[in-house]
Amino acid sequence: MVTASTLMETRSPAPNLRPTLPAAEAGRPAAPAAPAGQILIDIDHVDFFYGASQALHDINLKVEDKKVTAFIGPSGCGKSTLLRCLNRMNDLIDGTRVARGSIKIRGIDIHRRDVDVIELRKRVGMVFQKSNPFPKSIYENITYGLRLQGVSNKARLDEIVEKSLRGAALWDEVKDRLHASGLGLSGGQQQRLCIARAIAVEPEVILMDEPCSALDPIATAKVEELIHELKTRFTIVIVTHNMQQAARCSDKTAFFYMGRLIEYADTQTIFMNPGNPQTEAYVSGRFG
Amino acid sequence: MDVPSAATSAGFLANKSKFHLLGLTLDDCIRVFFGGNAVVSVVVLALITIFLFKEGFGFFGQNEGNLRVYRQAGLEYVDIIRAQQDDHTALTRYLSDLRVRQFKTMVGAGKLSPAAANQALAGFDDFAGRFGDAVGPIRGIVSDLTEAATAIKDKFINVENHKEERRQLLAAGKAAAAAAVVIDNVDFSAELKPLLATLPAYKEANAEFSRQLTAVLADAPVLPAAELQVRMERFKQLVREYLAGFPVVEQKLAAWDYTRPVPWYQAFTSFIFGREWLTASFWQDWYGVIPLFIGTLMVSAVALVLAVPLGVGAAIYVNQIATATEQRFIKPGIEFISAIPSVVLGFFGIAVLGQALRALSQVTWLAWVPGFPFSERLNILTAGCLLALIAVPTIFTLAEDALNNVPRSFKEASFALGASRLQTIIKIIVPASLSGIISAVLLGLGRVVGETMVVLLCAGNRIAIPDFTAGLAVITQPVHTMTGIIAQEMGEVVHGSIHYRALFVVGMVLFFLSLLINYLAQRVVRRYRISIG
Amino acid sequence: MSTELSAGHVFQARVTLAQRWEQACFWLFRGATYLVLLCGAVVFLNIFVKGSRTVFQPTAPFINTAFFTESPESLHVFVWQGKKMEMGDREHRAFVAQHPEAAKIKTEDYVYSAGGIFPCIVGTVLLVVGSMTIALVLGVSAAVYLNEYARDGTFIRFVRLAILNLAGVPSIVFGLFGFGMFVLFFDWNVSLIAGWFTLAFMVLPVIITASEESLKAVPKGFREGSLALGATKWQTIRKNVLPYALPGILTSSILGIARVAGETAPIMFTAAYVVRDKLPWDVDKFSDFFFQGVMALPYHIYVVSSKIPQNEYTERVQYGTAFVFLLIVALIATTSIVLRNHLRNRYKW
Repeated sequence: MVTASTLMETRSPAPNLRPTLPAAEAGRPAAPAAPAGQILIDIDHVDFFYGASQALHDINLKVEDKKVTAFIGPSGCGKSTLLRCLNRMNDLIDGTRVARGSIKIRGIDIHRRDVDVIELRKRVGMVFQKSNPFPKSIYENITYGLRLQGVSNKARLDEIVEKSLRGAALWDEVKDRLHASGLGLSGGQQQRLCIARAIAVEPEVILMDEPCSALDPIATAKVEELIHELKTRFTIVIVTHNMQQAARCSDKTAFFYMGRLIEYADTQTIFMNPGNPQTEAYVSGRFG
Repeated sequence: MDVPSAATSAGFLANKSKFHLLGLTLDDCIRVFFGGNAVVSVVVLALITIFLFKEGFGFFGQNEGNLRVYRQAGLEYVDIIRAQQDDHTALTRYLSDLRVRQFKTMVGAGKLSPAAANQALAGFDDFAGRFGDAVGPIRGIVSDLTEAATAIKDKFINVENHKEERRQLLAAGKAAAAAAVVIDNVDFSAELKPLLATLPAYKEANAEFSRQLTAVLADAPVLPAAELQVRMERFKQLVREYLAGFPVVEQKLAAWDYTRPVPWYQAFTSFIFGREWLTASFWQDWYGVIPLFIGTLMVSAVALVLAVPLGVGAAIYVNQIATATEQRFIKPGIEFISAIPSVVLGFFGIAVLGQALRALSQVTWLAWVPGFPFSERLNILTAGCLLALIAVPTIFTLAEDALNNVPRSFKEASFALGASRLQTIIKIIVPASLSGIISAVLLGLGRVVGETMVVLLCAGNRIAIPDFTAGLAVITQPVHTMTGIIAQEMGEVVHGSIHYRALFVVGMVLFFLSLLINYLAQRVVRRYRISIG
Repeated sequence: MSTELSAGHVFQARVTLAQRWEQACFWLFRGATYLVLLCGAVVFLNIFVKGSRTVFQPTAPFINTAFFTESPESLHVFVWQGKKMEMGDREHRAFVAQHPEAAKIKTEDYVYSAGGIFPCIVGTVLLVVGSMTIALVLGVSAAVYLNEYARDGTFIRFVRLAILNLAGVPSIVFGLFGFGMFVLFFDWNVSLIAGWFTLAFMVLPVIITASEESLKAVPKGFREGSLALGATKWQTIRKNVLPYALPGILTSSILGIARVAGETAPIMFTAAYVVRDKLPWDVDKFSDFFFQGVMALPYHIYVVSSKIPQNEYTERVQYGTAFVFLLIVALIATTSIVLRNHLRNRYKW
């Protein structure tokens, strides 16, 4: 393990990438100032195709550790596609490929041949747009990922279930019915269950694909609150349609349009002082 | 969580020790297992097609041989004369039919007793007798020639058998034994010489035959009833036409040449358009699919005529009109019908329905129904009724699905415009689901065409094209079907024989027919999906 | 239309011609529906009533056990000392041995009309178990492969289309194929194993299609959710797809059983014997077990309804067999319908 990682580090030193930063990114003032901002995910000149049609054009983006990064943009702008690239969920769709560039997590190119995609997904968890609890009990939903890894100690499972549910702010609501079906929960609870399920396997990154799009405002508020708490422990990348949501809960925001990254900066900058007129038009609600 | 990044990052490199077999991981093995099974399934299902073709296509070669022998051994020659004789027999039948009518009018009017009527018809009988006897010499010639031609054919088949024997011996490596098999090739031209030499004798007999018929015709009796006299005139006309055809027959005979090659396509056409399915005959076997095809078609048509209104009607009722309680027992009820095995339905047809329908047909006040009364217990109608029962559940289920798929909003919009339920059903629901219903009917047809046991047990199994001149009454005649013939004859044929292969070709026809029906059904549904949006 | 005419208010209900017409049409539809049910009921009741005379008896144990446990025999009917006697073959032989003078009496013989249908039941069970095993292993695996593993290319689409179309091919064509391939080409003769494969390949398209449909009905989110948690493909399929597809697969396979048990045409010349004295387990070698023909219920019905005359003596075995067979198939079908309705209500997502 150690040898492999050292090999990795020597192979792709992050600083080398600096000169290739696109104009939009280079032009943002706040980026270098990020204090805790160790680079976790480095997306470098990525072109992505669905069959013959190109969905992403030359994306350059660096996600920082223990921060919430929001992807915003109108429908079909490629933000979900990029998100799904980060844990290679796009592999499941036929005819998709990353044609150029690389995505590195902690310096390792995740498309390298010797990358075990299963391990990758354990480390990069995902919460989907439509909450998708398995038709099993709440308890089994949460332990699903752990059991896959061979954890079968009852006491340990119980402990993790409680921890995860507390982490997802769901414990108090469901602690009396852990063995009831996960499908019996309300929409917001289901989504938080999915988050609990994702954090139970202790990933480093949690990808959230419009997690609140199907929820009512109260449930949305709860999930947002949760995101706030989670960012102390996890790096979160969230795709959202809702600009207020991005403004409320993210540290950094990337604006996409037509498969291109238009602007990436601190959330404050994007919303208060966008560098690009398109971004400004979008965040002020003039299109999209 | 604050693990040093280097150690963490190495985590998703595939360097863990995992289960391996021949360089494959467990997941790969499982994938290979599933894939292997899929391949086996697909291969076997492909084999079905290939096997049908392999066995079936051999038929056409053999059938060509069959037709060639028919010509070379002179069977065709004899059949030319036989056709002439058969035409005469048909005319005689016309005459006897005329006598029956005549007799009926005489006795029916109450004027004459049967004996007196017979006496009054003596002149007619004499005429009919002379007409019938005139064919005597021709018949004699046909019978002699039949024997001669059969002898040539037998000789040829014998030689072929010897050849086959030698080939097998050679294949088995027994060269000496193979050499011992005597093969003297049939010299058709020599063998046919005596056969063809009868032409002058035939011509003479034919001239005499023609003379006699003309003489007989000259003093044909005049029938009392005007309408029968019309028929008599018609008969005379027919005989005159018959006589006029004689020179054509003679020309055909003179022009006949056994060396004329059998065209390659005839092996196909004689199957596809052949009007006779005649096997294990002493004279000549014919493998024409038309009577079987028509049988299948007739039975299916009757079944659909009954099943479509019932199935679609029931679907509309259950989907649109019935209460929830009714739905709850009607649906399983109809599904239950689909579970009745066809052989049980066939048995029911033999044991109950056939009898019942025949009894019904003999009820006097129903005599106006075309075809009633009938005497054949097992016929198109019996089989069609049972097949309808098989088709109804298929049509019902699929049509109900189609109706179900019509968006609720269509219906609500119609109601909101003040349409009644019936109007909504007829003008909105049914048109919107029409292609689904059509596809349901097509799949019902597929079910019926492929059904074996019911038609085998209940269609009457007479290999003949039903007599369409009877009008609607044609449905009371027995037929044989494509599925039925396979089921009936497959158990008795010799492996590799032409008959065996002919049955495979019938199977091929069924195969393609079912594919066609399925294809059409899918096409219709695809269009329907688009129309609904 | 004026308000005076409509006696009261504008929405006043009136019976119009159109409404009568509508009612008449509804009655027509209703009539069609109940006619279909009636026809089904007539068939079922006819066989039930007449068959129950054979299967049940007025005295304890109320079920005619001999009918279920004996092999078919010929029935001999003769007049003995002014009395009409009916005896099965064995009984008759014993009787003749006792009364030598009875040998001279002319008897009317009806084949298969005495004894029972035990070998047929055994044969049908063997055929169903064997063929369903083959069909399920192949069919479900193929469906899993097609739906979970295979990339959706032109070839796979073609395979899927071909399988769908093969589901509509008449059973007799499968019989023809089985006869040509297994019985003659592989030289297995008329045997259990030839019947197994023929029946298995007959239901295979149905099972593949139905299993794939059940797999498709499992939401994509289950798979994505599981994969995103770091499950391998097989773990996902085993734990999060197959369990939810299983009810659907089960239902369709039970329907497959009903179809396999009910079909006659494919086994007519691949597996079924008109009559066979030995029971399937009376074999010298183990391998002979697979290469023996068996009697089967549907074929027996075909034989007794087409090859022997209809009369009061033969009717018993005809109706009895049909009744038992119908009951078995109906039971299987009912199970599947009940199961499906039950599961449909339970699994909703």
